[in-house]
Amino acid sequence: MVDALHAPSYLQMSAISKAFPGVQALDKASLSVSSSEIHGLVGENGAGKSTIIKVLAGVYSPDAGSIVIDNVEQDRHSPGSVHDAGVRFIHQELNLVPHFTVAESVFMGQEISGPLGVRKRLMRKRAEEFLELSLHYRLNGNKLIRDLGVAERKLVQIARALIDNEAKVVVFDEPTGPLASNEVEQLFSAIRALRERGIAIIYVSHYLGEITDLCDRVTVFRNGQDVAVLAGADAANSQTIIQHMVGRDITTLYPERRKVGKKPMLECSNLSCRPHFSGVNLQVNSSEIVGIAGLVGSGREELIDVLYGLKTAQSGTVTLDGQPLHVDSPHIAVKNGIVLVPRDRRNTGLVLDMSVADNINLASLDEVSSYSIERKKPGKIRATALAKKLDIRPDNVSAIVRFLSGGNQQKVVLARWLATGSKLFIMDEPTIGVDIGAKVEIYQLISDLAHGGESADSALEGSSELAGDDNPAGVIISSSDPTELLGLCDRIIVLLRGEVIADKPVEELTLDSLLALTTGGNVRTTDEPLHSQ
Amino acid sequence: MNNNTQSMAFDWRGFTGYLPFLVFILMLGYLGYSAPNLLTAESIDLILRQSVPTVVVCLGLAVVVIAGGDDVVSGGIDLSIPAAAVLAAAIIADQLTNHGTAFVPALSMAMCAAMLVGVVNAFLVVRVGMTPLLATLATSVATVGITKVVTASRRINVDHPTIVGLRDNELYGLSVGVLLTMVLVVIFYAAVHRSKWGMNLQAVGGNRDAADISGIPVRRMLAQSFVVASMAGGLASVFILARGSGSSPGSEENLLLEMILATFLGAAFSPRRVVTLWGAVLGAVLVTALSIGFKSIGVNVFWTGCIKGALILFVVATAALATGKK
Amino acid sequence: MAESGQLTSSTGATFNTLAGSFFRQFGFLLIIAAVFGFFSFYATNFLTGSNLLNIVEGSSILLILALGMTYIVALGGIDLSVGIAFDFGAAFAIVALKNYDLVWYLAVLAGIGGGLLVGLLNAFLVVRLSVSPFMATLGTFFIGSSVQRIFTNGGGPISHRRAPQEFRNLAIGNVSGIPTEIIIAAVVLLIYYLFLEKSIFGKRIHAIGMQREAALVAGINVKKYLFWGFVVAGATCAIGGIIGSANLRMFSPLAGYSYLLDAIAAVFIGASLNRSGRPSVTGTLIGVLFLGMIANGLNLMGLNFNTKDALEGIILVVVLMLAVYQQKAMTHRQ
Repeated sequence: MVDALHAPSYLQMSAISKAFPGVQALDKASLSVSSSEIHGLVGENGAGKSTIIKVLAGVYSPDAGSIVIDNVEQDRHSPGSVHDAGVRFIHQELNLVPHFTVAESVFMGQEISGPLGVRKRLMRKRAEEFLELSLHYRLNGNKLIRDLGVAERKLVQIARALIDNEAKVVVFDEPTGPLASNEVEQLFSAIRALRERGIAIIYVSHYLGEITDLCDRVTVFRNGQDVAVLAGADAANSQTIIQHMVGRDITTLYPERRKVGKKPMLECSNLSCRPHFSGVNLQVNSSEIVGIAGLVGSGREELIDVLYGLKTAQSGTVTLDGQPLHVDSPHIAVKNGIVLVPRDRRNTGLVLDMSVADNINLASLDEVSSYSIERKKPGKIRATALAKKLDIRPDNVSAIVRFLSGGNQQKVVLARWLATGSKLFIMDEPTIGVDIGAKVEIYQLISDLAHGGESADSALEGSSELAGDDNPAGVIISSSDPTELLGLCDRIIVLLRGEVIADKPVEELTLDSLLALTTGGNVRTTDEPLHSQ
Repeated sequence: MNNNTQSMAFDWRGFTGYLPFLVFILMLGYLGYSAPNLLTAESIDLILRQSVPTVVVCLGLAVVVIAGGDDVVSGGIDLSIPAAAVLAAAIIADQLTNHGTAFVPALSMAMCAAMLVGVVNAFLVVRVGMTPLLATLATSVATVGITKVVTASRRINVDHPTIVGLRDNELYGLSVGVLLTMVLVVIFYAAVHRSKWGMNLQAVGGNRDAADISGIPVRRMLAQSFVVASMAGGLASVFILARGSGSSPGSEENLLLEMILATFLGAAFSPRRVVTLWGAVLGAVLVTALSIGFKSIGVNVFWTGCIKGALILFVVATAALATGKK
Repeated sequence: MAESGQLTSSTGATFNTLAGSFFRQFGFLLIIAAVFGFFSFYATNFLTGSNLLNIVEGSSILLILALGMTYIVALGGIDLSVGIAFDFGAAFAIVALKNYDLVWYLAVLAGIGGGLLVGLLNAFLVVRLSVSPFMATLGTFFIGSSVQRIFTNGGGPISHRRAPQEFRNLAIGNVSGIPTEIIIAAVVLLIYYLFLEKSIFGKRIHAIGMQREAALVAGINVKKYLFWGFVVAGATCAIGGIIGSANLRMFSPLAGYSYLLDAIAAVFIGASLNRSGRPSVTGTLIGVLFLGMIANGLNLMGLNFNTKDALEGIILVVVLMLAVYQQKAMTHRQ
């Protein structure tokens, strides 16, 4: 373990261990943070970073180890005592009440109350002052939360955590997930303002570009241990961070690019769904991977919803293989071979309490039944074959999907659509919450899908029901990760405020030019290298 | 970011949200037109008197819905308030008429019984983890069963001076019952909308996780909301007795209908489109006005249930359309 | 919805002993056995062949309604209007016989048609207007009750003493010794079992009930299933109403209401018996028989009518509580 104490630590967690049934989530892990420091915390899913945050929060009690805050050993560690010690948490979810005002939200649970009840006017004044002075942002305290943008809501969340001026340590848990790049800057300046006030900041994020931009030091977690504490140039080099995270060199994340088909598969012209987007033209050929880039609110999510029939377009035409198609419900899309791998896997991608086999067979039950009565055995055989092909673990298809890791869950969704013989795959944030190892596998799979891949049929000899494997498919990938789009796609369209502002082959784009396009010219500097060749 | 694009189109959703309110006003306008004496001071007084029990149970339901969120299935709902009110009314009537108990001890007994219903609800929802819908439906049926034991399924007349006075005595030109109810409304308003407790209650209903991480005792607040609701039911009992000059079996069903209609209609009146106390109270008065109005233009009394049922559906359907499906 | 219920998890965690986990698994079966033992001991004539047959026969109508309810709960909804569909079934059948002199099987069809109307109204409200099932069926309940009062001028029964024997036999007849009621209920049970538990439609229905959005994205025509769910449930409950009216040779308004909570309770008791905590046809059957046993036992103990009502209500609360408790305990795996 690297010890990089260059300043006295304000918060010191040492040799923390925590086991859950069957998993050693933390194994003598340590984390130390100084005042006036932004300390990054990174690691793959399951590396233990969220567990150690929960131990710090007092949600989990550690099996072993010690926590020292401001030279005081915390022996009875509970959410209350942590709060009293000045540790505050900015959670990933925007935990706010939509119909509350800004002032009410900032003072939620700590209202100022006088003899005549809560003092709304005073709370409003204090909230506005705090936002302006400490976070450098002007916001009307009487505005309703539901009328705010995502970044503003985040600021309200921060204000709520800090309004009592007792905060010494602030933990940001994946704060930028729902933010657009320009909003991220706004958040960063607020975080830097906190550092100037002497607060210790722990910053947990998947986005390495943010870590390298923002953090003074970085602790890397792997397999429940802190494997490295990086400072200086190392903390600004994402390649170094990745190496520590994965424990090996990852040279190629993305599969080799292959030939794009000539035959147009999906053609949309002048598609509009106001106020989200309008006049969108989109063409996908067979064997082509088309990326959709765009900020939150650019209409990217809604375009996917319209293509899949979750939302209805107001105007425009869609043709599939030259035939006009009207998709107003997902079952019609599926019937026509258009399938969706949704962004919110746990809520919309899978039925979490059903087994792997049931989830795989769910869209093609007709094929594993006779006279509409389900036949368990063929269903199980088919699911097992697909699970094996995609290397879904555990390989027991009776396992309940809820307990699978993110990457394996995503593979179950893909297996379901392989079983239906689909020809156009729409993938919305296909690798969100998936660790790097599984990411590589999913990228390979997407490439194989598009090219009528070898990966598809070898495991399934004899089960001819599994159509679609020999036919190359078209793939649409919508992603907020520009490197993923650049590494995987053949062509990228960029949405800005509901309009397509670019439709270019990937060769004509660089990370900087793509970012410039998505933000409307507002380039966000990043030194994150591309991992593709 | 898409705020500017959104504002270009006419805000249909906001409009649909107001639709129930408009329809209501139109309906009352029609009734006022076809039965001109509906808008006299005398009949407004009658409307207020008649609406008193509904107003009080609505206060209770509003508290539960505010604390639980307004999704009827997973959120807060208490179907047992009318049953608790009718049980309390039965106990008071039985004690006053059949046992000669004084008013205050009779009321205390009734309040205890009603609050017991609330405590059971709170236990079932917060401890056992039943959905409020299922829990309060079950306690409501059990409560109705217990009421039958108390009354032996018979009507009990009450002519106790306190109860009669509640209806007939007047102060500053308003009936005592109406005045007392106004006081109750103010107390509930102060508690829910002006106090720390009330802000926390609203936070729990608005976003349970957010309330939890803000250090608000979510489970305790939920439990308290059910007990407060049953207390409202207990208090409503005296007004039920005053209105009907006694307790009659089976009166909980109509009260339930009016309570739900009024409370959810009230949400359509509130600027934030959520269930509020004011909305519920206003809703209760308007629903009563509607009942009396229909009666005064000679609509068969059996039809009013049908009209109210349809109104509930209308209110809820427009609310569903206004919030939009995901 | 599945996620929102997780807030209460911390209390269940203390219940971790061996005895605790045994109770979680089999607790409810033990309660059933205990209640059975209690009545065998204290209620004279409880444990006789003819009385046990009585329990089964007496549970037939409730079983039919509870099956309709099972369908809706499996879809993730609830149906507060099962009683109305029951009443409409009875009313349409009796009126068809009395006022239109229809032959008995057409009267049966008319009764089912009455239930279909109720189901269609629910389906329209839920699918077209996206009203939540609870609110929709509550509205239907109020409207349906009101319509019955209007039709009967305040709630008087419509009796038809001269109902044809074939119609009466639906309730009181028998086929080689087995009461027709039981046979009808068994047929409905079998159809529901094949449909909900064995067919691919059932699998889709359960998927919708567990996670509606996920089922939608998986290409299941959710609206179609919801629509037909309410329609079929309405028709099913009407069958119960027809048997009920055949038994008494009359239609008594609002009689169906008394089945509502029992039907809900049976479904939730049944769900608590499943490992997955899902409603199921077999679970519902056990729940119905359990409730039938309690009603029968209390009757045999010779309690006053009002007391019996109150006791049944309280027992229901306790039983539902235990059922839900067990269900939560079983599904709360870390």
